[in-house]
Amino acid sequence: MTTRLVGAPLTRREDARVLRGETRYVDDIVIPGAAQAAFVRSPHASAAIQSIAVPEPSEADGLLAVITGRELAGLRSFPVMEPRGAHVAAGEAHPVLPVDEVRYAGQPVAAVIARTRALAEDAAELVEVEYEARPAVLSPRASDLTLMRWSQRTGDVDAAFAAAAHVVTGRYALPRLVAAPMEARGAIARYDADADGLTVWCSAQDIHRSRAQLSHILGRDEGTIHLIVPDVGGAFGSKGVVAPEVAAIAAAAIRLGVPVRWTEDRLENLVGAYQGRGIEGDVALALAADGRMLALRARLWADLGGYLLTTTPIPPHTAATLITGVYDIPAADVEVTGARTHKVPTGPYRGAGRPDAAYMIERLVDRAARELDLDRIELRRRNLIRRFPHRTPTGLEYDSGDYERCLDLALELAGPDQPSRPLGADVARGTGFAMYVERAGGGFESARIQLRPGGRFLIDSSSSPHGQGHDITFAQIAAERLQTAPGAIELRFGDSASAPGGVGTFGSRSVAQAGSAVARAADAMVGEGARLAAHLLGLEAGAVRLTPAGFLGDGAALSWAEIADSAAAPDGHPPGGAPGPLQASARFESANVFSSGVHAAEVDIDPETGQLSVRRLVAVDDAGTLINPLLAHGQVIGGVVQALGECLVEEAVYDDDGQMRSGSFLDYSLLTAAEIPPIITGEVETPTPLNPLGAKGAGEGGAVGALPAVANAVTDALGGRHVEPPYTADKLWRALHGADDRPAVPEERR
Amino acid sequence: MKPAPFVYTPAPSVAGALELLADEDATALAGGQSLVPLLNFRLARPGVLVDLNPLTALDHLHVTGGALRIGALTRQATLQRSATVAEGWPLLTEAVSHVGHAAIRNRGTVGGSVAHADPAAELPVALTALDARFHLRSGAGERTLSASELFQGPMTTALETGELLVEIEVPPVGPGARMAFLEHARTHGDFAVAGAAVVLVPGERAAIALLGAAVTPVRAHAAERALLGGAAAAEAARLAGADVGDDHRRALITTLTRRALERVLA
Repeated sequence: MTTRLVGAPLTRREDARVLRGETRYVDDIVIPGAAQAAFVRSPHASAAIQSIAVPEPSEADGLLAVITGRELAGLRSFPVMEPRGAHVAAGEAHPVLPVDEVRYAGQPVAAVIARTRALAEDAAELVEVEYEARPAVLSPRASDLTLMRWSQRTGDVDAAFAAAAHVVTGRYALPRLVAAPMEARGAIARYDADADGLTVWCSAQDIHRSRAQLSHILGRDEGTIHLIVPDVGGAFGSKGVVAPEVAAIAAAAIRLGVPVRWTEDRLENLVGAYQGRGIEGDVALALAADGRMLALRARLWADLGGYLLTTTPIPPHTAATLITGVYDIPAADVEVTGARTHKVPTGPYRGAGRPDAAYMIERLVDRAARELDLDRIELRRRNLIRRFPHRTPTGLEYDSGDYERCLDLALELAGPDQPSRPLGADVARGTGFAMYVERAGGGFESARIQLRPGGRFLIDSSSSPHGQGHDITFAQIAAERLQTAPGAIELRFGDSASAPGGVGTFGSRSVAQAGSAVARAADAMVGEGARLAAHLLGLEAGAVRLTPAGFLGDGAALSWAEIADSAAAPDGHPPGGAPGPLQASARFESANVFSSGVHAAEVDIDPETGQLSVRRLVAVDDAGTLINPLLAHGQVIGGVVQALGECLVEEAVYDDDGQMRSGSFLDYSLLTAAEIPPIITGEVETPTPLNPLGAKGAGEGGAVGALPAVANAVTDALGGRHVEPPYTADKLWRALHGADDRPAVPEERR
Repeated sequence: MKPAPFVYTPAPSVAGALELLADEDATALAGGQSLVPLLNFRLARPGVLVDLNPLTALDHLHVTGGALRIGALTRQATLQRSATVAEGWPLLTEAVSHVGHAAIRNRGTVGGSVAHADPAAELPVALTALDARFHLRSGAGERTLSASELFQGPMTTALETGELLVEIEVPPVGPGARMAFLEHARTHGDFAVAGAAVVLVPGERAAIALLGAAVTPVRAHAAERALLGGAAAAEAARLAGADVGDDHRRALITTLTRRALERVLA
């Protein structure tokens, strides 16, 4: 008899605490004597800084100091990641505070430290910065400065295009988006001069990357930085790089000898936090007469903003490498140029390149079906990757999947295809399908487990949650292997003083990497327990086995509680064994795993107003073995809702001078529950061979598949006419009506 | 997003509030749903904030002589829940349900929405369709304005320094009146891009007020006349939208007006 917990839809253990408002976010942490920071920000998208005049502390109520880029000249700019094979202009890294120029409106120029935030904002108004405005470059194609470039050419692409029966091309673009977490960013920095120790409480996705970035910028050893990530109110990718403001207050705390807090407000978050998407491209597909895909060409331009933050090069690289999607395309020529523009930098936002790739390839495949007069599903079936592992022409290795099963399930859940109605009718209706792969997992994480009195376990995980539900998920993984109840397992996260080494929470990797580390650590604990049980029972180690009642051997049983008691006793261990509580640890590392899925959408457009209603969405996702289907389902729903926002209303709008015109939620629109249609989900579980759980990732699929599914449904409703998201009433109305207000004649639907 | 320093003064009485508001540098605070964000953005920087919330005399909703009298401090949620309003002036019940979300309506006031005069706000448009009268008071006395006299531009009214909107009077609409309010907004609870409020007493009275057709609420007089002359909903709606410059906005106004008229004519 064994206890099965993997696959159980258990609720999160933190929910009651979260719903009662008992969480402790950074701003809830009281540090006596902490000062507060506000920032003077650039009003220009591009300008030279000619001079900065700052008030003396005596000139403003409660003012402690004003710190500019000159005072921080000893600090390094942000470290920048270099995706495999990419060229990255590391010299264009984001400085903590600039010295002689600004490159986006909203860039922090000076840190104002005062007794309260209100006083800091008052004093910030006394800082006088003289700028000489320069022209702002806003389009990545118009930029003359490349911050990142990656390209790959595999197979004889030119020959394939020359010989192809059909060549289908498309030009696509996705706007910039903001992550809009409910809790904006923030941190507290406290410096202990005697110990030369810096403690930073930070609203971040993880402790490891935040600490490594601060270590690089401040030029101090990681061992001197104690990083604590408390409860976090959402990130969606936007808290994987510490804010320049956080580095500034850390430097301020060291200089001033007082703790300094920065709690970002919504205005700062909208104009200053790195944004997502902002990519465009020309994509071409060469097809044989029967619809087989022969080769793909893609030229992508990413709007990276004024500087590189640590992860800025990652999403465009991910988009470029995933551009062939779920299709078996033998040859490809792909290039992505990440251009410097005078806007806030971009970085990962839920999907982080995956939706960008899925959007372009899936719209192009629909266009190919229309142009070749082939059924859109049949065209996909003819080109699906069916054997794994599969090496893509862009250099990725897909580990596992069953794309056709996902497609069949999505078709079944979507029901019979309803004929789209002609545009003269009272509604224009369309349906759309989209397939995707989600690069997930990869890299290493670790876990340490201790047996405690009473048969309880404490697990230190290297990975920390910001809403995902690590706690119950990891408890399920460990409890099943330890043959105990999840309630006997306590998880500890988010403190560099206790957490073992790891990377972080991003890229749909926590279950696959950190969960696998927990599994391996639990397995090692079972081995330790068996060794001790065998010793106590006078048996060979192989002669005991673990059951829910404890270790059984030769008719006797020893529970984990008894093992714990014995381990604590001076003579409880076999000869040569270390005395004290049983402990085990594990580090797990693997290559990327690839989740996949198929989403379908049915939409209506009101031809008189242009209003889009998404009537229904089907989301079939294959994240491998599901540890907790309830939380996986929640990830899909959350991702789909963010994709719907991207389809319907979301867009960071800049004017011609580079001023963000959507700097409040009055202008940057987010969906409400009233806009969310019924979402029908389905699961396919194709375990990955790359980890002991068979788990892939579920964090981003919802945000990846729903965007192109809705886009294809909208295009279907528009009779093949091309419109880019967000699908505002204004755009759709104009697409439906020519300038002369006559409804356009629809192309024949596929 | 912390406001610039200001002096906070709770209003001791209506007369006391008028005295305090006679200072050019003073601003009245009602529900705060628009003013507080403006303060936090430091776009509004009053030296003195006169809090009207203690003035219970301005928080009333009753019918006198057949007319609905709405105290300026009446919460939008109170208006929304009032059976009297739903019975006699259902246009207001329908319009107020589009104002933000429940938490906003619990705090936001009817008078605040009128005095703020956001061109995308619902209540001023509904009140315009209902021929509401706006009672203003100052140290010099009282005056009463119509909607077209009160609303002067975006966020601009005829209210002068030291003058306070104290009550809104909505005349009776008569038996057999049919009303409808329709709007187009990006999302539920968002400010409207376009809207139409219609009031129809067959053969007697036709009122059409438009949201998003101009920088203030406007009446579609030509459409009203056509409707009384027997025009169909589509023709009246075409006239209502005829002067709107932007073609999508014109389509929205025309469509919303036609649909509202079709509803009241059904």
